[in-house]
Amino acid sequence: MGENDAADDDAAHEDAADDRVTLTLDAEVCIGVGQCELLEPDVFRLDDDENISAVIGEGRLPRDRAEAVVDKCPSSAIQIAGD
Amino acid sequence: MTSTTSEPVDVTTSSLYLDGFPHERFTAMRETPGLTWHPYGDAGFWAITRHADVKEASKRPADFSSGIGHTNLWDLEPDALEARRSILDTDAPDHTRLRRLVSKAFTPKAIRVWEDVTRQITCELLDDWMEKGGGDWVAEVAAPLPIRVILTILGVPVEDADYLVEISNYLVEGTSDKPSLPADAYGNSTELRLLPFQSPASHALYEYGEQLGAKRLADPQEDMVTMLVQLEDDGDRLSHNEYRNFFHALVFAGNETTRTAITHGAMAFADNPDQWQRILDDPAMVEPGVEELLRWATPVLHMRRTATADTELAGTPIAAGDKVVMWYMSANRDEAVFDDPFRFDVGRDPNPHLAFGGGGPHFCLGAFLARMEVTVLVQEMRKRNMVLETRSPAVHAPSNFVHGVLAAEMGVSHG
Repeated sequence: MGENDAADDDAAHEDAADDRVTLTLDAEVCIGVGQCELLEPDVFRLDDDENISAVIGEGRLPRDRAEAVVDKCPSSAIQIAGD
Repeated sequence: MTSTTSEPVDVTTSSLYLDGFPHERFTAMRETPGLTWHPYGDAGFWAITRHADVKEASKRPADFSSGIGHTNLWDLEPDALEARRSILDTDAPDHTRLRRLVSKAFTPKAIRVWEDVTRQITCELLDDWMEKGGGDWVAEVAAPLPIRVILTILGVPVEDADYLVEISNYLVEGTSDKPSLPADAYGNSTELRLLPFQSPASHALYEYGEQLGAKRLADPQEDMVTMLVQLEDDGDRLSHNEYRNFFHALVFAGNETTRTAITHGAMAFADNPDQWQRILDDPAMVEPGVEELLRWATPVLHMRRTATADTELAGTPIAAGDKVVMWYMSANRDEAVFDDPFRFDVGRDPNPHLAFGGGGPHFCLGAFLARMEVTVLVQEMRKRNMVLETRSPAVHAPSNFVHGVLAAEMGVSHG
């Protein structure tokens, strides 16, 4: 991640903009670890009462960050829409 | 199950672990395609040694069960498994329910509340230890730190702490297969096979947890035991057996694992003064340094799962009922993922270590607590400009399960 940024700044920026994906979260599977909110606090919020995470707002992220949060979710509750 | 054509490699005999983890055996296994079969007791197990394969098995809980047999190498008899079953030995949907009930106490936000008291305990221990010019890092810093933190979080009164420390030390000894207590210690009358670690200390811990739980139910306080006994989720709550096994798991897991991480960390800093200097020079190195410490230490060496049906992993066919064992330490030295994996590098980035497991629903519940404790310790060591030096070789626990260190004599100077 980020290795080519300096070399090809404009192209990288454009790619990142095109490469945004939408994330979804399966509340039935979530176990409330809180990893997603820690990684992407603008996209995920762990509900203090229900202890289940939810997508806040549109849930859009560049693909590399989206894939990282999908990979780090212990219960595999997060998915990229359309994948 | 089928056996492989090559000669099986012994990776379980305790004495192999007397000089630390037998890395060379696992390096060879990682280079062997597929999984390797290892005889153990009446049956045997498939060893999962590569990073990608450990992650895959961890994330296939429907194929690789935690609730069958045991999550340790040996099977428990059905009644023993029922009596001793903790959140570790449970599958969905029971696991999902249990995990949701307790996980709110372990989120990053919930753990932040305990940072100040952790720092206070850490400062006391480090100041005392420095004043006497060092000593056994395990007994004097690494062991008391996490046990004091977890007891404070649970709400164990200060006057009972010594008793709980004593009990938990017997449990830690239990992981090295050396029963050192008589069967009736602590007034125990339960068959040992029905107790975690087959130890009468587990009876004492159950009993203590039950008494404290009853007290907190009658007179709630701001602590985790109160939270556990008050837990309600649509009228759901922990059963008696769930509660006492969870209390037990917290005291043990909140104790042994962090102790081990802190000890291997101190040893790595003493053995690699250039790496410790990087942390002293730059506070931004604390965070990646803590992750490298966790990768280096890998306190829990393995967890076992059991195949629920005929399946396949890493190209190896696995029969229903076969045991598979995920070797986290081996995954954390996988050359395919980590450049120069046997080098301790506090700037390692990325560092996708599996010290807290390979993901999946059993991902370490205490991961954020452990990270916070280790981070506070490294910050406070740095603030004191501590430089550690090894005085005599560390004494390793003869265990294939925990990466334990029994004693590590160290000196200290100001950098």
